[in-house]
Amino acid sequence: MAGSALKRLMAEYKQLTLNPPEGIIAGPVDEENFFEWEALIMGPQDTCFEGGVFPARLTFPPDYPLSPPKMKFTCEIFHPNIYSDGRVCISILHAPGDDPMGYETSAERWSPVQSVEKILLSVVSMLAEPNDESAANVDAAKTWRDDRNGFEEIAQVTVRKSLGL
Amino acid sequence: MRSFLLTGLSLALTATVIGNAYYQKKQFYPSVVYITKSNPSMAVLYIQALVFVVLTGKMLRALFFGQLRDAEMEHLIERSWYAVTETCLAFTVFRDDFSPRFVALFTLLLFLKCFHWLAEDRIDYMERSPAISWLFHLRALSLMFVLGFLDIMFVRHAFYSTLLKGPSVQLVFGFEYEILFTVVLMIFIKYVLHAIDLQSQNPWDNKAVYLLYSELIMGLIRVVLYIAFVFIMIKVHTFPLFAIRPMYLTVRAFQKAAQDVILSRRAIRNMNTLYPDATPEELSSGDNVCIICREEMTTNCKKLPCNHIFHTSCLRSWFQRQQTCPTCRLEVLRMPRPAAAQQAQQQQQQQQAQPAQPPADNQNPFNNMPGMFGGFPFQWPPNAGGQAVPPPFGWPQQQQQQQQQQQPGAAGGAAPTSQAQTQAQAGTASSSSTSTSSTSTTTSSSSTATPGVPPFASMAPPFPGSMPFMPPMMPPMFSPFSFPPPPVPMSGLSEEELRAMEGVERGNVEARVQWLRDIQALLDGAMLLIGQYNTVASQMGTMGISTAPTAPPPQASSSQASSSSSPSSSLPSSSSLSSSSATLSQTAQLQDNAQGRAWPQGEGARPKYTSTISNTHTTDSPERARSSSISQDAEKQVEGAVGGAPAKEEDIPKWENPREEGHEDEMHEVRKRRLQHFSQQNSSPGDESSSSSGKHEQH
Repeated sequence: MAGSALKRLMAEYKQLTLNPPEGIIAGPVDEENFFEWEALIMGPQDTCFEGGVFPARLTFPPDYPLSPPKMKFTCEIFHPNIYSDGRVCISILHAPGDDPMGYETSAERWSPVQSVEKILLSVVSMLAEPNDESAANVDAAKTWRDDRNGFEEIAQVTVRKSLGL
Repeated sequence: MRSFLLTGLSLALTATVIGNAYYQKKQFYPSVVYITKSNPSMAVLYIQALVFVVLTGKMLRALFFGQLRDAEMEHLIERSWYAVTETCLAFTVFRDDFSPRFVALFTLLLFLKCFHWLAEDRIDYMERSPAISWLFHLRALSLMFVLGFLDIMFVRHAFYSTLLKGPSVQLVFGFEYEILFTVVLMIFIKYVLHAIDLQSQNPWDNKAVYLLYSELIMGLIRVVLYIAFVFIMIKVHTFPLFAIRPMYLTVRAFQKAAQDVILSRRAIRNMNTLYPDATPEELSSGDNVCIICREEMTTNCKKLPCNHIFHTSCLRSWFQRQQTCPTCRLEVLRMPRPAAAQQAQQQQQQQQAQPAQPPADNQNPFNNMPGMFGGFPFQWPPNAGGQAVPPPFGWPQQQQQQQQQQQPGAAGGAAPTSQAQTQAQAGTASSSSTSTSSTSTTTSSSSTATPGVPPFASMAPPFPGSMPFMPPMMPPMFSPFSFPPPPVPMSGLSEEELRAMEGVERGNVEARVQWLRDIQALLDGAMLLIGQYNTVASQMGTMGISTAPTAPPPQASSSQASSSSSPSSSLPSSSSLSSSSATLSQTAQLQDNAQGRAWPQGEGARPKYTSTISNTHTTDSPERARSSSISQDAEKQVEGAVGGAPAKEEDIPKWENPREEGHEDEMHEVRKRRLQHFSQQNSSPGDESSSSSGKHEQH
């Protein structure tokens, strides 16, 4: 039988295809390599990202689920918790050992209980409610805090771009 | 495309050079001589040789690996750059031996290294690929065979040439190929392990362990090889600069492997000794999917103290990283094991019982306070005198006892049953707030999760799943004099500060909660003193606080009832007040007794100080109200005002043990007088509210 990481990823893929959560599509880039996933996240309703479809890439480590995957948006997105190169900064994607920001308790970090679905749902809620206290993109956090209208305008632009308009 | 162009260009150049030589000399030998004499021609030919080598490499790669994956390619390029730099460094050491043959050998070495790396990546990929074809096995096996064979041949050659001609650059090659041979061996071991794993349907639990150990052994061999090599090189030539980086990496890898093995062993040992195997019933009841691997659990499962069940192998690999429960993050290693707890308990017992065994009726200080410490699941020191039970499992028993003893008080009291329940609830809540501050929030939240349920029912021996283990309350309270710092008196409260405690705003509630905490601290201290007193009393043979039935329960409850009609009880949800009451009189009395001053034994004259604390401890709950009537004794000890903001640590004056003060006689006189005064008030119920809610009268 194949490695446990692969088995778990296959199980998660199956789960995600059978019961897809609302607004999320995810799966391996190709069936040969289950450690590279592509995800499409719809901007949550009633937020400034509504209507957008944001592609992201998930890279799983060989020892998944003991270590967290990495997630990176492959489109342009302006958000306090997403680095300008697209990397997503949420606490559940951080391994318990390292604390890049020094503010998270280990209780909100990665654990094998998490899954792709939970990660993506967290990302959706992160899109809906940015956490400007631990900003990955300082400009975005500042705009979010000081100039909400400006932020929403920029978000609308990225939404349109993500749709190819 | 570019490589095609370059190859073509190189071929054309070579053809031109050879054609030109042949055209000039007309014969084979003269043209060869001409070419070897001419530097530009040789340069062209060297480039052509390199192109041929690259082409061969590509061909072999296509043969053994097929298409390279992106990650493999990236890996290869990254490592090649390091290898090239190190080769150049090696050239500097062996500049005397520099010759085309030497360069060719190094190039070959570089190529073989690349193939080793690729093979390594490919075998690692075995574990991650959903389908492994027979072609993969064929390629892997033949590649490993070829590489191993080449390595051995080169080592052999280097060995004999060093023996015959003395140390030369062959030393480096021999050593490099030896290292490469260990790589091939490691790849082979991994391949075999993965192949065995692929055969069976079920995951092979011990594969990770075997891998760890083989990595450890290989790491050791490599470290020894490197050390030997550096040693020889220093003796023969000079310090091998080019070997520093790989050597460092090897040592690091070895260290990591050793650490992994240690951690793994520890995890296995812990699992075997600490956690029980999950029984089939536990597995069949409810969800039996292992949350780590998302597979069904049938055998080989372990149950953690928090009742979460996982595969043994999954848990082991997780414990190598972190010693927490994956689901609830309970720090499993910090869990006091039953054995250890028992041991600690016994030690406590010894400490406590050293002077003399306390009388049996003093086993439990709660005996003496019916209806007062309703649901307090406290484990007070004296308790250890009679019962040696590990903290988590001792509670129910103790609580049953309490419950029984509480019966007369609760039943006889005028307080409605609902109040008794909420009282019990508050008991739980306040108990959680006395546990270490780190857990206090979580425990209190979990205790609110069972509203209305008396704690005896909700506190089954192993706590409900998500409830973090309440640390045994010994550490903070155990040393006899670690008295909680007493809060500040209320007499100095200004109007604003008092107003801060009214109302339903967050700030108000926080202020209240802060006061309640302070009161809680006082109560804790009082309980401690009771404990001390019991010990001392038993030691001195004086009478303990066997006052239980004599402080009449109805009186106690009526004072509670009256206290709930104190001003703030007119707040919205005063009916849902959770209250807990405590007598501080005991404390004072105890202190006196402990000093050898016999308190008047007339039971009726015994003062009764009530301190009724009630709050819903969740600060953001809309229904929060509080009626707090604090005994004057408490008020006296409470010093300094706490406004809307919670008191800071440094604001709280340091507690001084009254016993250590010189004017203790004075103190006791004052206290006595006060107590008597209070007992008079208590005897006439009408006065109670005025006395007990003295604080509220200020506004």
